[in-house]
Amino acid sequence: MKRWLLRGTPLVAFLALWQWAAWVPVSFNFPTPWQTLVALSELLGSGALLQATATSLQSLVLGFGAAMVIGVPLGLLMGVVRGVGRVARVYLDLLIALPSAALIPLVILSFGISIVSSAVIIFVFSVPFITMNAYGGVRDTRPRLVEMARSFGASWGKLFTRIVVPSAAPMILAGLRLGLSRAFLGLIVAELLLSPFGLGKLIMISRSMFEHDKMFATVLWTLVLSGVALAVLARVETRLLRWRAG
Amino acid sequence: MTGPVGIAIEGVSKRFGAVQALVDIDIHVKAGEFLALIGPSGCGKTTLLKCVSGLVAADGGRIVVGSRTVTGPGGREASLVFQDFALLPWATARENAEFGLLLRGAPAAERTAAARQALAKVGLAGSFEDAYPSQLSGGMQQRVGLARALAVNPQVLLMDEPFASIDEQTRRILQDDLLRLWSDERKTVVLVTHSMEEAIYLSDRVVVLSPRPGRVHRALDVPLPRPREALDVRASAEFARLVDELWQILKKMQ
Repeated sequence: MKRWLLRGTPLVAFLALWQWAAWVPVSFNFPTPWQTLVALSELLGSGALLQATATSLQSLVLGFGAAMVIGVPLGLLMGVVRGVGRVARVYLDLLIALPSAALIPLVILSFGISIVSSAVIIFVFSVPFITMNAYGGVRDTRPRLVEMARSFGASWGKLFTRIVVPSAAPMILAGLRLGLSRAFLGLIVAELLLSPFGLGKLIMISRSMFEHDKMFATVLWTLVLSGVALAVLARVETRLLRWRAG
Repeated sequence: MTGPVGIAIEGVSKRFGAVQALVDIDIHVKAGEFLALIGPSGCGKTTLLKCVSGLVAADGGRIVVGSRTVTGPGGREASLVFQDFALLPWATARENAEFGLLLRGAPAAERTAAARQALAKVGLAGSFEDAYPSQLSGGMQQRVGLARALAVNPQVLLMDEPFASIDEQTRRILQDDLLRLWSDERKTVVLVTHSMEEAIYLSDRVVVLSPRPGRVHRALDVPLPRPREALDVRASAEFARLVDELWQILKKMQ
């Protein structure tokens, strides 16, 4: 009961604030929560939203998948081979410090207006965090565990698979979660700013037609989508790291 | 492997950069002997233990464990027990106990059987098997560390201040359990400790190392009767006298 109160109160407060903003109204044609929900069900019914979602997820899977497949091994390599780590981290730090959106014109120039462009931007948004976390995870490996394994005659390969990778796992998983939220950010930024595809396109079209309820519905949908994806990843993380519960 | 083996440490020196850690160490550990190494902090007793295990390469001299000259880590004669237990936090007690066998490529069934047996020897049979280290007390974690060392059935146990980070009551229980294990299993033990009582209570002989650079300062025989865990040796006058003798040696060395 108390838990539900704790969880429900912010939601109710948020809806109330939203309703109030629509009443005032804050701006022309500001949709109420109810209007937004109606628009959402319409968009879902017409199939427009699902189609846009499928398109967006395509670039997300492509971009985030590549970031995962490249970022994790690269981070591990950086952690194991010191020289690689020292050189690569400079560039990754730059990528993190740089407002990633500034790279968008360059990406369009290189890849044209296509789903691939969105995927590349998603990749650029997420890969530095995934890589740096894997790198940090390797560097967090307790030397004592390495020593223990060596005392039993562990080969280099066994040290890597049995000590280094499991030691880095918590940080790798945290990096993937961070990378995924960055990937959603990259997705929307890419679709709003450059490639007329997917959810971003839907948002832009409804805006230009003054269908603000539909626009809000799409934004809300995107929010739910990323929330669900992150929650799934968090669930996987807890499962894999259940030894930490203690 | 059957039967304990001796250890010969002959003329071993070790330097770390500008720091001379060990100079010309000569120690012969008899097969089945319980030897304690004691000395002020920084005297290189842990370094010496690591040299015997092969984790640290000595600059000069040689170390022979059984019939094998130590050239690197991974020798099958000896297992290490660590002060901070060095358990894998992501593995259960049983998986930790199996780890040495896993690294040596033993088949799964054999690993599990040996780990179960070793855990039983250290008093951790049953439900503790599936507990993670974070769910175990310090004393129990060190029991797992000991089980991991025993599971590979070594002839020599190299123990690096194994009970230093465990509370006094638990430490005494673990010390008694170690004595019982030692007399059952007949292993050669080299124990690094900074506790004079522990050195006297457990060992046949205490080797005192001098402060940096570490040299063998003296050896003290401990002729206390065994089994000490059953005889309440700690309460005896002879025990107190030996602890005091060891203290006098250490005090004069400062």
